[in-house]
Amino acid sequence: MAQQANIGELVSMLDSPVLSVRDDVTAVFKENLNSDRGPMLVNTLVDYYLETSSQPVLHILTTLQEPHDKHLLDKMNDCVGRAASRLPALSLLGHVIRLQPPWKHKLSQAPLLPSLLKCLKVDTDVIVLTTGVLVLITMLPMIPQSGKQHLHDFFDIFGRLSSWCLKKPGHVTEIYLVHLHASVYALFHRLYGMYPCNFVSFLRSHYSMKENLDTFEEVVRPMMEHVRIHPELVTGSKDHELDPRRWKRLETHDVVIECAKISLDPTEASYEDGDSVSPQVSAHFPHRAADVAASPYVDTQNSCGSATSTPYSSSRLTLLNTPGQPPQTLSPPSTRLLTEPPQATLWSPSMVCGMTTPPTSPGNVPPDLSHPYSKVFGPTGGKGTPLGTPATSPPPAPLCHPDDYVHPSVLQATATPPRKEERTDSARPGLHRQHHLPNDRGLEELSGSKGSVTLSDLPGFLGDLASEEDSVEKDKEEAAISKELSEITTADAELLVPRGGFDSPFYRDSLPGCPRKTHSAASVAHGTSVNPEPLNSSLDKLGPDAPKQAFTPIDLPCGGTSESPAGNRERQASLETNILTPSPCKIPPQRGVGLGSGQPPPYEHLFEVALPKTAHHFVCKKTKELLKKAKGNAEEDRAPSTSPVEILDRLIQQGADAHSKELNRLSLPSKSVDWTHFGDEIRTLRNQLLLLHNQLLYERFKRQQHALRNRRLLRRVTRAAALEEHNAAMKDQLKLQEKDIQIWKVSLQKEQARNSQLQEQRDTMVTQLHSQIRQLQHDREEFYNQSQELQTKLEDCRNMIAELRLELKKANSKVCHTELLLSQVSQKLSNSESVQQQMEFLNRQLLVLGEVNELYLEQLQNKHSDTTKEVEMMKAAYRKELEKNRSHVLQQNQRLDTSQKRILELESHLAKKDHLLLEQKKYLEDVKLQARGQLQAAESRYEAQKRITRVFELEILDLYGRLEKDSLLKKLEEEKAEAAEAAEERFACCKDGCSDSVTGHNEEAPGHNGETKPPRPAGVRGGGGSRGGGSGELSTPEKPPSQRAGPFGSRWETTTGEPATSIPTTVGSLPSSKSFLGRKARELFRNKSESQCDEDSVTISSLSETLKTEPGKDPGAEGKAPPSLDGPHPSPPTPDSVGQLHIMDYNETHHEHSEG
Amino acid sequence: MTEDSQRNFRSVYYEKVGFRGVEEKKSLEILLKDDRLDIEKLCTFSQRFPLPSMYRALVWKVLLGILPPHHESHAQVMLYRKEQYCDVLHALKVVRCVTEATPQVEVYLRMYQLESGKLPRSPSFPLEPEDEVFLAIAKAVEEMVEDSVDCYWIIRCFVNQLNNKYRESLPQLPKAFEQYLNLEDSRLLSHLKTCSALSKLPYDLWFKRCFAGCLPESSLQRVWDKVVSGSCKILVFVAVEILLTFKIKVMALNSAEKITKFLENIPQDSSDAIVSKAIDLWHKHCGTPVHSA
Repeated sequence: MAQQANIGELVSMLDSPVLSVRDDVTAVFKENLNSDRGPMLVNTLVDYYLETSSQPVLHILTTLQEPHDKHLLDKMNDCVGRAASRLPALSLLGHVIRLQPPWKHKLSQAPLLPSLLKCLKVDTDVIVLTTGVLVLITMLPMIPQSGKQHLHDFFDIFGRLSSWCLKKPGHVTEIYLVHLHASVYALFHRLYGMYPCNFVSFLRSHYSMKENLDTFEEVVRPMMEHVRIHPELVTGSKDHELDPRRWKRLETHDVVIECAKISLDPTEASYEDGDSVSPQVSAHFPHRAADVAASPYVDTQNSCGSATSTPYSSSRLTLLNTPGQPPQTLSPPSTRLLTEPPQATLWSPSMVCGMTTPPTSPGNVPPDLSHPYSKVFGPTGGKGTPLGTPATSPPPAPLCHPDDYVHPSVLQATATPPRKEERTDSARPGLHRQHHLPNDRGLEELSGSKGSVTLSDLPGFLGDLASEEDSVEKDKEEAAISKELSEITTADAELLVPRGGFDSPFYRDSLPGCPRKTHSAASVAHGTSVNPEPLNSSLDKLGPDAPKQAFTPIDLPCGGTSESPAGNRERQASLETNILTPSPCKIPPQRGVGLGSGQPPPYEHLFEVALPKTAHHFVCKKTKELLKKAKGNAEEDRAPSTSPVEILDRLIQQGADAHSKELNRLSLPSKSVDWTHFGDEIRTLRNQLLLLHNQLLYERFKRQQHALRNRRLLRRVTRAAALEEHNAAMKDQLKLQEKDIQIWKVSLQKEQARNSQLQEQRDTMVTQLHSQIRQLQHDREEFYNQSQELQTKLEDCRNMIAELRLELKKANSKVCHTELLLSQVSQKLSNSESVQQQMEFLNRQLLVLGEVNELYLEQLQNKHSDTTKEVEMMKAAYRKELEKNRSHVLQQNQRLDTSQKRILELESHLAKKDHLLLEQKKYLEDVKLQARGQLQAAESRYEAQKRITRVFELEILDLYGRLEKDSLLKKLEEEKAEAAEAAEERFACCKDGCSDSVTGHNEEAPGHNGETKPPRPAGVRGGGGSRGGGSGELSTPEKPPSQRAGPFGSRWETTTGEPATSIPTTVGSLPSSKSFLGRKARELFRNKSESQCDEDSVTISSLSETLKTEPGKDPGAEGKAPPSLDGPHPSPPTPDSVGQLHIMDYNETHHEHSEG
Repeated sequence: MTEDSQRNFRSVYYEKVGFRGVEEKKSLEILLKDDRLDIEKLCTFSQRFPLPSMYRALVWKVLLGILPPHHESHAQVMLYRKEQYCDVLHALKVVRCVTEATPQVEVYLRMYQLESGKLPRSPSFPLEPEDEVFLAIAKAVEEMVEDSVDCYWIIRCFVNQLNNKYRESLPQLPKAFEQYLNLEDSRLLSHLKTCSALSKLPYDLWFKRCFAGCLPESSLQRVWDKVVSGSCKILVFVAVEILLTFKIKVMALNSAEKITKFLENIPQDSSDAIVSKAIDLWHKHCGTPVHSA
């Protein structure tokens, strides 16, 4: 909110009178707009503008940048929607649009456009409508392609407004209607120019209705008379018109100019392509064309007249205003005068427009003017009523014209006089006369006013008049009228000429065209004639003075026009001086003078030369502006830096302000009666002012478009000039090059000639050479033929030689052959000779042998009978013998064979046997080996056994040793006790034991048989260790072992069987202790004996032993049994054991010997 | 050559490729199938290859002459052997040289003594070095062979072989040992020499006892395969290999006593590797025995 307040303050500051503050604030706003994107600021500005219509705000709004356009449009849309703010919003829109912002293309999409259209369709306020229509017209060329969807809206608006012009619904002021009419006229032009086909079809459909027919007749038709047939009507179509592609190529000003082109109205039309237009025009109005072409004045007009005239008029106007103002303030009509300055300013541009167009394009304008008197109607159409008056008034006009001539028509005079005065004097009167039409009424008033103002000199008077007129008339109207007048003056110059009188030679030319023009003029007059009266009446109604005053301006121009040619210049001069003298303006007086004096600036003619038309436009505009400026300066002196345009706007506004102020301040009792009227009037005036302003702005927009276009054209012209220059240069170059080319051609020809010469020479040479070659070839062929012939001959010869050689060879071989044959034959011959000799020899031998044979035969026959028998016998015997022998031989042979076979068989048998034998041997070996293995094992076993027995023996002996020791000790003890008693028994026993031992000794010595072995150690031991102890017992083993087993066993048995009976404890103990050992010993012994037998394999000895043992057994058993049995008893051994042993040995030996 | 046709023809290449003992069992079986066992072939085989344990006892018995080459007589001969064993044992028992409580090894010793006629009068007589050797060998064999008859006979014949066949060569072994050790690792030898341990090495343990008690039986029997089959040189290489294997430790030891002590009690875990390497070494130096037939 603070911000908003702040903005409000700032906005209010915008209008501060201090320039710097204003600039600063503007800058601040622009910054804000750049930074801020919100709609707030824009809205505030718009609101403020709508309230105050402040210029700086407007400036800011019109220069809004892209992002804010939407806000602005939205805001304006809002405002347009509201009836209260509609008008200012529209005017703002108009301002914005006229500057052609970069975002103008968005307009078509903006909601503003539909709302504007709607407003135009609905609203009933003429001012709003007029403003809106102008805005719309301005807008249309900017959005040509987007007008498509709104096309029918446009047409509807046109239809509505055009009917408005006629029907005047409600209490619309007629003056407003004039404005409206003008804007509708402009809309007509625009629509017709942009969318001819659619528009025409719309017109056709719309005005075919009966209720609209009037409107058509009254309003539309006159408008149509001011347009040409649009070419699009012929070539284009409805769709083609709306094709965006068509519009894409055209810029806004292009569109505007396009629209202006089809216009026949001089105010509207453009003549950029003057050449193309003028022919048309000349076609239309040949007289005019002829005029233009013929008249020597054209140039002068162009150069001087027009130039001078324009400034003239403007200056005049300003002059008129300036002097006119002060007095007006005093006088009651000065209220009108108050509006006068703006009117004047407004008026003057329109005037200028009206004026300038004709003069600036003098070549064209006259023709245009001549026929565009229809154009004159254009404006008049817009302001139908005022024109109506002139149109209708002509008849009465002549009455007054002389009077009016003098003063008022300065304006027209400025425009027309230069031309027409100089052209034809005769035309002048007509012209003036024509202008009388409006004048007559104005004159009436003027006469009145004259009275009041006549004091001053002519200019002053004129100014008064002008001011009066202005104040009386509505600015718009006046502008239009003045325009019309200006054109009418020109146009009517012709029109009237025929009318006024066909006397002038000039008009004869235009005669053919006249009837039509007159007719058209008449029709226009008809069309408008309806209006003028009511209009006038309405005007009259406005105020008591109003009606008359309304027409005063017409008088003024008329006066201007009706001014006498003679006085014209004087006035002009005086006016010029006036301009210069009173004005404190900053425009250099010389300029003003220069301009005013009708002398174009010194460089102006240059423009003309270079840029025939544009220069004029430009210069005219310049001068006009300058004049305006001068005027503005004269008026205001305030804003020296501002542009004339702005000054103009400001001027109008100031005028309005001043007017209102004046009104407020003025308390006019004299006019108090009319106060209410006065108020109304003021309001209408203000509205008019507004409308006029709008119109002005629209016109200015148009002008700007024109200017744009002109600039472009100017550029084109310069470019064309440059291109022409360039072309010229190129042409020069071309010429130079052509020259070069020609030179080259000449040299080429020379070269060609030389070349041909050379070629000829060469040809001749070639032909010569060819002929030579031919000759040589011919020669060569001849030679060739000859050589060939010779060669064939040569070959023939060769063949012959070969044949001959062959023959030679054959002959040689024949000779050889014959020689060979010869030699053979000779040999044969010699052979046969030798054979013959041999044959002879053999024959001889044969003969001899035959004889011998015969001899032997004889001998044989003699001896044959004696020997045959014996011989035969012998033969037979031999034969038999031979046979016998043969058979014998055969037999022998057979035998031999068999025996041989037998031998073979036997041999094979033998081999087999041998083999078998070998195998057997092998096998045997094998078996042997096997047996040996087994044997080895057995042997080792045996060895082991031997070892075992040895061990056993050792053990046994050991044990014996021990035993004997023990027993010996015992015996020794016993001996002492029983030595005597057992002496005898012991003796016997000892005998046995000793005998045994002796025999062992004996045997050992001679035989070393197995028997001896075992006893030996025993004996040794027994002998060594226990002398007598074991004798008894030893004896038993000493017996043959085989037998000993038995006795032993028996003994054992006996001993075991009868231990208690006979054996004492010791004896009993002995076998008991010995029971196991004994058994073992026995086994051992037996084994030993057996093994001994086996090993020694001495069968004889064993036999003998067996024999020995067998007999010994029995006696031994018998004999020894008792001692053995007794042995233990007589255990005490005899001391003479040695003896015993001896005995025993003896016994043994004895036994053996006996047995052996 | 029907047997040969049964053999895998690839067997020739197995060894080239590096497989060992793939076809050994089969070839041994073929050898053992011959009716008359070819002792020479068996010798060569057992020298070339380690014997499969299931045939070891048989082969040893054949090689040691406990069994004849003829299959037919095996049973009978074995019967004889058994009887002999029983007899001797009985005799010893009779003589009370041996009782039930006597350790089996001593029983074997007494039996051997008895058979060789060296049975002392009293068992309490101090044992002679020979007997110590026997005991060590017997202990080893007892581990290898289950049957006591076989065991006794193998011990007996093995010892006999040592005493008879190798009587001349055994004393040469220390010299050979020195020579091969020089070839294999002269530094070690010089170390031993500097320690003057060379003469004090446990030659008795190595060569007389054939490592009985030095190596575990499982590895020992592979060594003895070679010894039984007639090569006592393997003992030298086993000794060399032992030294090479424990070279670092031996080098670390400086005194002869320590070295000897260490060598008498070498760790048992690497014995297999030692034996394998020793056999390789043996083959390398003495060449692979080839069947002369």
